[in-house]
Amino acid sequence: MSAGLDNLKHVVVLMMENRSFDHMLGALRAADPRINGLTGNETNPDTTNEPAPVAPLAEFQSQLDPDPDHSFPAVQKQLFFPAAGPPAVPSMQGFVQSYSDVEHNVAHSHKIMYYFAPGKLPVLHTLAQSYALFNGWFASIPGPTVCNRAFAHYGTSFGKVNLDIFYVVEPYQSVYERLLAANRTTKLYYFDPSSSTQEVVNLLKNQPQIFATYQQFLDDCKNGALPDYSFVEPNYSDHPGDDGGEQLASDQHPDHDVQAGEQFIASIYNAIRQNPDLWQSTALLITYDEHGGIYDHVPPPACIPDGFQASLADTGGMPFAFDRLGVRVPAILVSPWIAKATVVPGPEDPANGRVFEHASIPATITQHFIGNYDNRSPREKAAQTFLDLLTDEMRPDADCPSFQLD
Amino acid sequence: MPQPPVIRVPKPSRSSYQPHRLLSKNSLLQNHVKHFRELEKDLPPGQQTGMPIDSILTEGQAAEYIRRMTVRLHRPLGGV
Repeated sequence: MSAGLDNLKHVVVLMMENRSFDHMLGALRAADPRINGLTGNETNPDTTNEPAPVAPLAEFQSQLDPDPDHSFPAVQKQLFFPAAGPPAVPSMQGFVQSYSDVEHNVAHSHKIMYYFAPGKLPVLHTLAQSYALFNGWFASIPGPTVCNRAFAHYGTSFGKVNLDIFYVVEPYQSVYERLLAANRTTKLYYFDPSSSTQEVVNLLKNQPQIFATYQQFLDDCKNGALPDYSFVEPNYSDHPGDDGGEQLASDQHPDHDVQAGEQFIASIYNAIRQNPDLWQSTALLITYDEHGGIYDHVPPPACIPDGFQASLADTGGMPFAFDRLGVRVPAILVSPWIAKATVVPGPEDPANGRVFEHASIPATITQHFIGNYDNRSPREKAAQTFLDLLTDEMRPDADCPSFQLD
Repeated sequence: MPQPPVIRVPKPSRSSYQPHRLLSKNSLLQNHVKHFRELEKDLPPGQQTGMPIDSILTEGQAAEYIRRMTVRLHRPLGGV
């Protein structure tokens, strides 16, 4: 066991919304060719059959309006166009066509190929270049938010590929219930009551004691009261605050402001970073639930089936056995025990590459805090875990950035 | 003693705040409202919000409904 793992007392997961790896981090390849980002030569055909190129023109807001379609059928088009789906291999050529289906405007459809220029996202880009960046972290399902977030909480979506509320199928339990049963501590921190928790409203009803607010997270970090495992949710909506002020959505879901999400990520990082005891005993994973219909160039790989079959009504008639992953998303593991500028290879490295998905979250938490635990989905049992990235050497304070929020 | 690098994080534009954004533009929030509505059906009549969800047309209105339901369900906030 590494010294970093030996010192680990807390794991925090922050899951943002609806942005692909290339959209947020693809620009970083220019400075570090180990990062499997964009070469600048990637294109998708538009509806006039002209190539729409990737371009470093992504803006913080007002560019992806209307919201790109990321329902299961739309994502299949994004992955397989011009084919309808398997057994074809994902071409990653249907993103522009799919966005044209939402709004019939050729010029606007090209914006689905835009990515953030180097340095435009100071928080995400700094963290990606300072800690461990995963080249191969994929959404669990080629579909929308709720079923993907379910994999982070339960290691499965219980056969769902859509946004409907779902009900737990025995014998599977959420990672939170497992931890409580093992006398471990855990909390789901939602932003505030007006934003609340996404996807696990059933848990809120049945296990309200495991929920708390973002302000409580900040207080718990300051007071050294963080539980073993924390899952943090951003603010999902623009709404008035309790003090009458304005609470800006920080989830980065289009068309919410990406800079608000940058500030939110920085605030979570700073809260941990500013408590020295917490900083050296905590690992923070920042990831995104799914790609939101936005371009990425890496074909999602196959995976072990999950033991469920999706409803054909939800898939547009395409059989789906939860045996292939969704589109690649950003994922960064932060800890002073991680070697500077670690890049975890993905499918681009057939010899050493590792594939992660959201089931890796409960798999890692269960392995570290509980140990052997059998009642888990096939996908979770097969998922890669990530705490082996902690090393024997803790980096000096001067080597770890801080953020100053305007 | 060397100091850690400090990275400045710009504030979003004031015009970013759009609570009147139509809910129809965000299928996630639309479904968030539906999930809470499904739970609300199980609450005793006296604890229901009384808000017809068909009247929820904007993001700000959705947030208000979600707030009322969260307060009802989350005991530390005074819920059921």
